[in-house]
Amino acid sequence: MEFDLQEDQIILKDSVKKFFEKEVSKDLIRELMENDTGYSPELWKKMAELGWMGIPFDEENGGYGGTFLDLAIIFEEIGRAAFLSPFFATVVLSGILLQNHGSKENKQAIIPNIVDGSVISTLAMLGKKGFYDKEELGLNAVITENGYTINGSAFFVPYAHVADNMICVTQTSDGITLLIVDSKSEGIDITPLHTLTGKAHDCVVNFKDVIVPADKIVGEIGKGWEYIEALFPKINALLSCQCVGGMQEVLRFTLDHLNQRIQFGKPLSALQVVQHYCSDMFIKSETSRYPAYRAAWLVSENLECKKDASIAKSWCAEAYKDVTKAAHQVTGGIGFTYEYDLHLFSKQAKTIELLFGNGAFHRSIIANEMEL
Amino acid sequence: MEFNFSKEQLSFREEVKAFIKEAKEQNTYTFMDNGFCEVLSQEFSKKMSKKKWIGLSWPKEFGGKGKGYIDKVIMIEEMLKVGAPLGYHYVADRQVGPGLIHFGSEYLRNKFLPPILNAENTWCLLFSEPGAGSDMANCKTNAIDKGDHFLVNGQKVWNTNAHVSDYGWALVKTNHDPKTYKYNAFSEMIIDMKSPGITVRPIYNTLGIHSFNEVFLDDVKVPKENIVGKMDNGFRQIMTNLDYERSGIDRLLQNASVHIALMDYIKTTEQNGQPLSKDPLIRDQIAQLEIEYEVGRLYVYYVSYLLDSGKIPSSETAVGKTFCTTYESKLVDMTMSIMGMPGLLRNGSPEALYDGSVGQSYLWSVPYTVQAGSVEVLKNIIAQRGLKMALK
Repeated sequence: MEFDLQEDQIILKDSVKKFFEKEVSKDLIRELMENDTGYSPELWKKMAELGWMGIPFDEENGGYGGTFLDLAIIFEEIGRAAFLSPFFATVVLSGILLQNHGSKENKQAIIPNIVDGSVISTLAMLGKKGFYDKEELGLNAVITENGYTINGSAFFVPYAHVADNMICVTQTSDGITLLIVDSKSEGIDITPLHTLTGKAHDCVVNFKDVIVPADKIVGEIGKGWEYIEALFPKINALLSCQCVGGMQEVLRFTLDHLNQRIQFGKPLSALQVVQHYCSDMFIKSETSRYPAYRAAWLVSENLECKKDASIAKSWCAEAYKDVTKAAHQVTGGIGFTYEYDLHLFSKQAKTIELLFGNGAFHRSIIANEMEL
Repeated sequence: MEFNFSKEQLSFREEVKAFIKEAKEQNTYTFMDNGFCEVLSQEFSKKMSKKKWIGLSWPKEFGGKGKGYIDKVIMIEEMLKVGAPLGYHYVADRQVGPGLIHFGSEYLRNKFLPPILNAENTWCLLFSEPGAGSDMANCKTNAIDKGDHFLVNGQKVWNTNAHVSDYGWALVKTNHDPKTYKYNAFSEMIIDMKSPGITVRPIYNTLGIHSFNEVFLDDVKVPKENIVGKMDNGFRQIMTNLDYERSGIDRLLQNASVHIALMDYIKTTEQNGQPLSKDPLIRDQIAQLEIEYEVGRLYVYYVSYLLDSGKIPSSETAVGKTFCTTYESKLVDMTMSIMGMPGLLRNGSPEALYDGSVGQSYLWSVPYTVQAGSVEVLKNIIAQRGLKMALK
């Protein structure tokens, strides 16, 4: 057992952290919450130049063949910076699905463009109710002579409004099938949704008789849900790492505030009741790190990790939410202002808690894995 | 980063399991459901001693086996899963030995380490006092320098196994200058529990069991060489000592048998023709327990990793103990609640489930979040030592 990061991982972590400290002010994040694009094209280009988009992809597809742990490190820093971008949608949701199951032609058509930052991609899956359930998908496809025709509405599709293409999880008569769809295809209508984190991060995408050529399938007909289920533990590990970064940062600036704010003639941090809130935050944050890293390590080593990844996601995401709630409690009025940074984190924390399954969803997976 | 156990560690775990299997088959040792420190079996400790499993993680130069703390957690984990009787050597192995190795003189090491390693004596801790519980710096037990010995007077309390112990590891006041900073007024010393002037009185806990005591010290003569470490540095030493007490997996697994019972119960008990394990509410609760258990377990291994890397954990042990003891009391409480009325049945009662062990564990769980630093004291430590929050 070796709980520390290796030297090259520490170097990567420091460089990502410094990049966000230099490039991403909290005012920029407020802007990304308010504007119509929801991301910064300029920073997107810089991230591509730094090689982040190429980490999970093979060299033959233009990637850099990095490790999953490298990706996990980037997610931890994304969490610490409360950064908003289509990185998760493009590189993980769409990119990893393509990398693992896509045809050679489709990979070579899309992945190099993801790597150089010229393409944004996403995943269209959920129905209106938002259930992560194969019986509740938003889209269905009819198999035709030349390919497929998609109808329906996909909800909570991240960054669809700026995406060049999307992988659609469709219900067909032969089972769930993944199809790559050009966002400009006829019959597609995209409307951004206003969510907790902003005006342009998730969208509803309406499909009316959208025609998809046969060669745009990812993997085989009817195997789509298998691919999605294989992706879930990877998602869970990365989101858990994002929570870990976020929690540490919330605790850091909350302590700063408590050390400076004088009440009753002494800093708030000298009050035992406040100290105990902070200890609880610290316990949550410290006990989250290794479950998250372990899940990422298991993915990285190609080991079975369905249960461990759900343990990490359930624990870390609820912990992150709890940490932000405690931070609101001890920062009082200032913590409820738009000007103070805490809400950037508390909105993201609640979002991540629900993203790809809330705690109960993951506990149900854990119970299944325990053969209950 | 690497979360696998090494080949050696995996085979060591198998060796421990085989040892336990054999010991159980001999049928001469008591394997208890809980309160592993309460069962003292010198024979079992001797059997472990022959394997050099007492002092497993002590350095070789002090007679230990020189293995890591992770190895020790592996061993204790397997032992506690079956409630092995570790009580005879547990405190000495966990705290006294490492304390002597860290701070003790050569004389003390030579005198006391070998009998601990050979399971020839058993130890108790003499820290708390009637006026010094959470506020340990309020200790009043006095040790007056009489030239060739100290004369000790005072009263200690909550001393587990003091009535059967050969030696006590005590915190006493050695600096009586009222102007001295209070944390510089104490020393650690070893007291022979057979010394004249020592009276041990039982205290019965809520289960009606005698496991801890109060200890009165009246003009007890203690040789000067029994001072451990530096004079008047005892309070700081004891904080390190307590970190060992708080760092282990024992805080997570004292109720391993309750978890086994719970899993069996929900799978074998039907309500309306369906096992309880299919009830969504119960599944959610069990999965939450599983999450907290795995999170705690990983953290315990992390703290052991810190020790193996030569770091002395401080706020980390407070995090670990707070987290793990909270889990343990939740486990027994939840198990009782899921079992409902039959969970109330005590050992020996007609119809008792699992020999009444669950109710028994529930009663034993009360002090988990109190002893060796209550959750609240530990949160103070986390805030002040770990987060450097203001003291006033």
